[in-house]
Amino acid sequence: MSNMINPAWALLIGVATLIFIGFIFWPNIGLISILLRSRHNTHREQVEDALKFLFDCEYKNIFCGLQSIASNLDISEEKAARLLGHLTSMGLIAVHGDTFSLTDSGRSYALQVIRLHRIWEKYLADVTGAGHLEWHEAADQKEHRLSIEEADRLAAQIGNPVFDPHGDPIPSSTGEIPEHTGQPLSALKVGDTGRIVHVEDEPKVIYAQLMALGLYPGTQLHVIESADGKIKFIANNEECLLTSHFASAVTVVLIPHEIQVNYALLSSLKLGEKAEIKGISPSCRGQQRRRLMDLGIIPGTLVTAELKSASGDPVAYRILGANIAIRKKQADHIFVNRVIAGQ
Amino acid sequence: MAASNNTEKEEEAILSLANKLRWDLGVDLHDIVIESIYEDATRIARKTVEIKGEQRGYYLDKSIDKIVTSRLLGFPIMFLVLAVVFWITIAGANYPSRLLSGLFLDTIHPFLKGFAANIGMPHWLTGVLVDGAYISVAWVVSVMLPPMAIFFPLFTLLEDLGYLPRVAFNMDSLFRKAGAHGKQALTLSMGFGCNAAGVIATRIIDSPRERLVAIITNNFSLCNGRWPTQILIATLFIGSAASPHWAGILSAGAVVGIAVLGIFFSLVVSWGLSKSILKGEASAFSLELPPYRPPRILKTLYTSLIDRSVFVLWRAIIFAAPAGVVIWLLANIQVSGSSLAEHFIHWANPFALLFGLNGVILLAYIIAIPANEIVIPTILMLTVVSTGIIGMGEGAGVLFQSGSLADIKDILQAGGWTLMTAVNLMLFSLLHNPCSTTIYTIYKETNSLKWTLVSTFLPVAIGLTVCFFVTQLWRLFML
Repeated sequence: MSNMINPAWALLIGVATLIFIGFIFWPNIGLISILLRSRHNTHREQVEDALKFLFDCEYKNIFCGLQSIASNLDISEEKAARLLGHLTSMGLIAVHGDTFSLTDSGRSYALQVIRLHRIWEKYLADVTGAGHLEWHEAADQKEHRLSIEEADRLAAQIGNPVFDPHGDPIPSSTGEIPEHTGQPLSALKVGDTGRIVHVEDEPKVIYAQLMALGLYPGTQLHVIESADGKIKFIANNEECLLTSHFASAVTVVLIPHEIQVNYALLSSLKLGEKAEIKGISPSCRGQQRRRLMDLGIIPGTLVTAELKSASGDPVAYRILGANIAIRKKQADHIFVNRVIAGQ
Repeated sequence: MAASNNTEKEEEAILSLANKLRWDLGVDLHDIVIESIYEDATRIARKTVEIKGEQRGYYLDKSIDKIVTSRLLGFPIMFLVLAVVFWITIAGANYPSRLLSGLFLDTIHPFLKGFAANIGMPHWLTGVLVDGAYISVAWVVSVMLPPMAIFFPLFTLLEDLGYLPRVAFNMDSLFRKAGAHGKQALTLSMGFGCNAAGVIATRIIDSPRERLVAIITNNFSLCNGRWPTQILIATLFIGSAASPHWAGILSAGAVVGIAVLGIFFSLVVSWGLSKSILKGEASAFSLELPPYRPPRILKTLYTSLIDRSVFVLWRAIIFAAPAGVVIWLLANIQVSGSSLAEHFIHWANPFALLFGLNGVILLAYIIAIPANEIVIPTILMLTVVSTGIIGMGEGAGVLFQSGSLADIKDILQAGGWTLMTAVNLMLFSLLHNPCSTTIYTIYKETNSLKWTLVSTFLPVAIGLTVCFFVTQLWRLFML
């Protein structure tokens, strides 16, 4: 014992070592993740990102100049000009005055990248537990690394999806993509009922705000007021108010039928209360959604809140003669109508 | 040729048309299909099926559920049931274990040695086969088989009865907060029997991310192979620190404390993984709480003995035999005057003392990678070799179980053990790499070298860190 290092020093060294290891390996801010990130902005990525952006403008009929390309790629205009010159010499784009358009080979390259991006987003959303704010960024990096064969295999594994989780169509492997449909939410009139088909995932601040309001592709909404650049509507049984700037990031298609507005959440049932299922929120997706539906959580099914776990969450519900425990977080996504006893 | 070309073209046209139509159908096609199926089924059922009240046993089940999931009694009942299962396992395994080791070590072993001498087998071959491979297999069988044969059927009975889903139901909120799957409560308690079985049991978790979390953290469930070590060391060093009246309760409390610490690490590491390399949100969790059923005892006995006990035991034996050979060789091959084991022990001692352990313990944990059961006998044997105590054991490099507890404590104290060493050994026994059977199972289940390495080295790193801080704080405040 006597020849051993003083314990106070040993403790200091131990703590310092832990801090050092944390400094290197800590996720997101550690040395390793910073190094990995700095490797990302390669030439190939810039080429592919530029093509993607040009395609997006073309698809949505937006004017696309040098300035918007530079700001989208987050590089100087000078660099953007050099990049575009390079793309022209590769035969991927054509220049007319100050506008740029994709050539056929440029378009099919762009579609390929978009396909990889959207398949990866769909995969993250349906299969992994990645949160909805992470999909886009992760796919922005993965799209440059995934090979076409890997993407095809992945697509087959998740059932060859045709829409990504934001509601965007996924181009087919031969490069086909449907016409752009729907209109921005900001263009809807009072009394219109629509279904969200797409929520723009950039800029991230707006996207996060819209997600927080529960505006997912598939959500139905009903416009009740529209004036002074603001639009008021009912979605997910709640009134929402958006400025037209925010509302233009949401694309909807008009649907004819009236929307159900007076439902409660499954999680609000007290023990012993009975209710009829009205539907599952579109934010619950993929396998989780399918699992709930397979258990019988379908419009029309009757459920009773039966048991509360010793820690308060989850709650067991009696559904079709079986007791099924569901976490509050999922029960928040299930809409019901209370059934009054005796009815 | 022309004809086949035509059909190919037609096929392509049809496929691309089908693809376009899928875009027109929109995102919620799957919902619409399922809803319409259920709608039809409900309409038919309403017309043709008459329901009279609830199913048989429903009200009894409901009252039992009210008690076992109640806010007040839910957790106490759960700990009580688990404690009783552990107690039955530990107490019940004691006698058959002694019987088996008496048979294997006191009767068959001398017979084999005599037989080897009769047929003129060379000394080194007898050493490797009889003293090495045979004894370690005999040790693993006699220490491991009885508790497994008791624990697994009991566990399966609880499962059959329908109680385990209620445990998962009660524990779920802890796991949800850790970003883990609710069913991890089940695989974790399975791990108390055997980590390899616990890892296989993670197949019930369908989300790949959460399954990996469950696999990596399963090692924090104190497995059967480690219970004997914990109980022995707690009895020798911790129980004796109190008055005889409290000794039993104190040492039992220490072992349960280690097991609870394991659950705590399981949750904390799950949380850490969900925030870093296995980033993600807890996926939906829906768990059926089946009606209580009388268990089918014979069938349970058969399946848990064959499927779990024998299966796990067989793999442990496969790994234990070579380990026995290694121990014998390390203690008997001499290089410049002392055995390989002594060389390693001297070399590792300064490093190991930083963590409150010693070179013997480190070497024992390396040799015992195949099976945790042989840690204590290996430590004893190596301590005897390195301290040169005479008149103990059955010769260099031969595993043995010493007759009395006092003898064991004498040997360990001669090897420099203190209360601090004992506490650190108990912590390191909880927080170290899984045994090779489990490592192999993890590799088979994940099919990934990366995750196998993570699950192997993460617990060792945590264990060394914990032991280091415990040791240095102990020295700072207790000296």
